[in-house]
Amino acid sequence: MIRFERVVKTYPGSTAPALDGVSVDVEKGEFVFLVGASGSGKSTALRLVLREARASSGRVYVAGKEINRLAGWKVPRLRRQIGTVFQDFRLLPSKTVAENVAFALEVIGTPRREIKRVVPGTLDLVGLSGLGDRMPEELSGGEQQRVAIARAFVNRPMILLADEPTGNLDPATSAEIMRLLEQINGTGTTVVMATHDHGIVDLMRKRVIELDSGRVVRDEASGAYGFQH
Amino acid sequence: MRYVFSNLGQGLRRNLSMHLAVILTLFVSLALVGAGVLVKRQADAAAEQWGNELQITAFLCREDDPVKRCLGAVDSAQKAAITKVVKNNPEVASFYFESQETAYQKAQKLFDPKLFQGDQPVLTPADFRESIWITLKNPDQFQGITSAVLGLDGVSSVKDQRDVVQPILSGMRVMQVASLGVAVFLVVAALMLVANTIRLAAFARRKEIAIMRLVGASGLYISLPFLLEALFTAIVGVALAGGALAAGMWFGVHDRLRDYIGFIPWIGLDDFLVALVIIAIVGPVVTLLPTLLLTRKYIKV
Repeated sequence: MIRFERVVKTYPGSTAPALDGVSVDVEKGEFVFLVGASGSGKSTALRLVLREARASSGRVYVAGKEINRLAGWKVPRLRRQIGTVFQDFRLLPSKTVAENVAFALEVIGTPRREIKRVVPGTLDLVGLSGLGDRMPEELSGGEQQRVAIARAFVNRPMILLADEPTGNLDPATSAEIMRLLEQINGTGTTVVMATHDHGIVDLMRKRVIELDSGRVVRDEASGAYGFQH
Repeated sequence: MRYVFSNLGQGLRRNLSMHLAVILTLFVSLALVGAGVLVKRQADAAAEQWGNELQITAFLCREDDPVKRCLGAVDSAQKAAITKVVKNNPEVASFYFESQETAYQKAQKLFDPKLFQGDQPVLTPADFRESIWITLKNPDQFQGITSAVLGLDGVSSVKDQRDVVQPILSGMRVMQVASLGVAVFLVVAALMLVANTIRLAAFARRKEIAIMRLVGASGLYISLPFLLEALFTAIVGVALAGGALAAGMWFGVHDRLRDYIGFIPWIGLDDFLVALVIIAIVGPVVTLLPTLLLTRKYIKV
């Protein structure tokens, strides 16, 4: 589903590459943790999958396509197949919960009838039934992240990227969010989650890819956060 | 689409003062562009009537010409002789004949229609002279041709209308240059205001734009609200400028100048429509062009 082949990414104005010869293969339906210290290249890897950035060299395949060579106007189509969740939720404060989720469909031209049908179901799925009319600021952090996950998943993407999705949440809430991500993974969606959260990685026992200074230093089928713990 | 249109109203309201600034600047600059076009067409119309400042006119004798040197209407042999002289004169760039009928029609545009009506109209084509309109190579060299033509049989008089025409034409030219010159500055100001408005709007909507990009909205979809806002301000600006020009035409030219100064053929509806079409093209270009360029920059997909 996602394949990196000797990917190097150097940002302009920096000498050390953010990713330095990374080769990784993520199969369809996998759940993968991307771990490593700040600046190890986790976010860069996610940005490359979204084509927010292009690899300096090497190849990035998403769903069989080499996306470095993708024409600019085809990028939106790529992104429709990828849901993204962030640490800071990124909800629109002026829209209700349901509107925030619907927004992701509206802006890609989904018919209104379809939106009306899909949004409540997705809110049910993430455990927010009955909260559709609330404003984001009225919700707890965990609930806001569920809205963000609903927005990322409402289009039923093949891939869900999560960048520190539990970074702002307490452990109990984080565990709930992880259950939700696992549930989404259970529908066949490939989930790639970048995280610092040792507890979660250790608990879930999923595949762990560890980056250090832009290199893959570990790739374990059902790993813990790090050897030192 | 619903999102796009609900955003249009929202965007216009959010940035009301900037949009008003764009509209007003556009209004004034387009009105000046239109005024420049109208003055230009007025100058052309006047020049066509009297000849421009490079032209002198030789009037040929008509039947019962009161001018003494004329012995009846000019005949074809005389005309051939005159043509030969004009053609061979080194001061002449080009020339053409104007018939009595044409002179008559030109006069109809200027004078009271009553003079041309009835069974025995005051004026008929026979009251006008045939003429040769001679365009000079150099406006300062005209003595040679003037004296050469004046001595020929069949020539009633030579008129150098440049004394009359030149001040009016040069006055119009100054107005035209002034209005278009000021318009250029204002158009530049409008371009910058549009650019600034877009930057502010892109900043105000940066969260939405970030999410739209993330979930795969197309570049066109993201920039559509900006383009519609630009189009809207352009339409309002063009409408205001068009209204101002129409008012100027009606109250200025139609109601006043036409009565005071009758010997000039004044511009009319045709000329107004030409000016309107020009500002209707310039206005949207001024707002849409920077919008297209800047949305590409600020909203890079």
